[in-house]
Amino acid sequence: MKKYLAILKINLLNSLAYPAELLTRALVIVLFMWIFFQLWRVTFAAAGTEAIHGLTLRDTMWYLLLAETLELGRPRLARLISQQVKDGSIAYLLNKPYHFLFYQLASGLGDSLPRMGMLFLLGGVVVWALAGPPPAIAHWPPAFLALAGAWLLHFCFNALIGLAAFLAEEVAPFEWIYQKMVFILGGMLIPLDFYPAWLQTVCRSLPFAYMMYGPARLFVRPETTVFVQTLLGQILWLAVLGGGLALAFGSGMRRLAINGG
Amino acid sequence: MPAIQVKNLTKTFQTRHKAAGLTASVRALFRPQVSAVEAVRGISFEMEAGELLGFIGPNGAGKSTTIKILTGILFPTSGEASVLGYTPWRQRRQLAYHIGTVFGQRPQLWYHLPAIDTLTLFGKIYELDDRQTKRRIAELAEAFEIQDLLETPVRKLSLGQRMRCEVAASLLHKPKLLLLDEPSIGLDVVAKQHIRDAIREMAARENVGVLLTSHDAGDLEALCKRVIILHHGQIVYQDKVSTLKRSFLTSKLVEVRYAQQVAPDFEIAGTETLKIARERYGVKLRFDTRRTPVESVLARLTEAGDVVDITISDPPLEEVIAAIYAQAERNA
Repeated sequence: MKKYLAILKINLLNSLAYPAELLTRALVIVLFMWIFFQLWRVTFAAAGTEAIHGLTLRDTMWYLLLAETLELGRPRLARLISQQVKDGSIAYLLNKPYHFLFYQLASGLGDSLPRMGMLFLLGGVVVWALAGPPPAIAHWPPAFLALAGAWLLHFCFNALIGLAAFLAEEVAPFEWIYQKMVFILGGMLIPLDFYPAWLQTVCRSLPFAYMMYGPARLFVRPETTVFVQTLLGQILWLAVLGGGLALAFGSGMRRLAINGG
Repeated sequence: MPAIQVKNLTKTFQTRHKAAGLTASVRALFRPQVSAVEAVRGISFEMEAGELLGFIGPNGAGKSTTIKILTGILFPTSGEASVLGYTPWRQRRQLAYHIGTVFGQRPQLWYHLPAIDTLTLFGKIYELDDRQTKRRIAELAEAFEIQDLLETPVRKLSLGQRMRCEVAASLLHKPKLLLLDEPSIGLDVVAKQHIRDAIREMAARENVGVLLTSHDAGDLEALCKRVIILHHGQIVYQDKVSTLKRSFLTSKLVEVRYAQQVAPDFEIAGTETLKIARERYGVKLRFDTRRTPVESVLARLTEAGDVVDITISDPPLEEVIAAIYAQAERNA
């Protein structure tokens, strides 16, 4: 366990090595939040109501902030692993006494935490100024617990796609599909509550809703049923994807072909 | 027990390829053309504990693939191997505690952080306690003369300095076996010498076996007792470095530049003149060290005029390998 903490720490140090870069990269969320605000303000005005399906404009904005923080702050692991296979640097990652996947988990977390923190902070200032104060402090713990589960699910998905690089040369198409699924079926662009009932049912039976909608929705409207549903969904999908990941890693290692002499 | 035992090891990679053009691309979608590349073709060898063994061969000879199999990163297609009693690809993580690796072209130090951060991280990864790690870092810093470099971000080090830190990092956990893949690539003469000396000293002091791949005949001469030459995935030569030198590395190339123009009939006894560049006052010679000692050639060269610059080098390793390969084919 200690070694994984050390790996987390060095990644943390590495992402903090250039604070100015960290800040500039996170600035993109300012623009996103401003655009979202204009978009949803018009939508709410056109609908002529305070709340759509129980969410106010302020709720929607804080929902989108949490979703964007996760999407922009999660590690780009699929691309990273495929890059490591392509340039041969994976040789160093596989010949050390740790589990490769736990290494990636610890290093992804160390890389992601400062980025997510910065995104949330900058985006939070903008949303607060435009749409109003954040949800009550009592909403935060369940939302952040679900956020951790969602982060882990993203990790599993990404690692599975990344491991495909052991076999396929290019994994970008898989990553593209996964990302669009999260955008649409995960409720990243539009809260799932705004979808028709049948589509909501479809989304709940897929993992993507637990990777975006769950934590974001809990942040603005923490209901016990949503909390239980999200956590159970996350546990179930983590078991499925985690198991798949372990199997894929074992068989991928047998077929690994590393480029470069 | 030998540190490394390899028997009939082979590794075949499947590569997809397609002809140029749109039609070929579309066809490749439905019927991909796959061909097998045999990177390692049935090699067998042994290496004793504490031995310094050189692994040489041109690009694509299978050196790196073999090293990657021996560290457990790649599964072989067939054959057996045992490294320190472990089967690398089945016991990769157990083996990792006992071997150190350096891939010259792939840095393992964190680029934006000082080397000490990577060394401390490795201490944790290899499960040393903090006191042990500190003591070991001090020891290695002295051996590799990197005391003043440890706190500098790696990106600010020269290649030579970085390589010394790389090798030091690979020795942190006191491995019994060090696998060095092109450790001197891209280094200048002084840096090469520096790193070779440090490796040799550490290996002798801690009885570490060293398996080294290189393009550079100088690495072999300076470090290794025995050499294996690979060509097209097969072992074409396996013997002591001294024997190799006696039978193949017998000629030297000398390039001299004089302060004044060289006579058109310039000649030095016991050497073969390859080129005379009169307008640049230069000459290029080759001689056989078995017949003409280096000292006598040097003496005669200085007698012939005022020497401004002189370079003595071995014939390129590719030439030596070509000669050995040709011989291997003749023998077969």
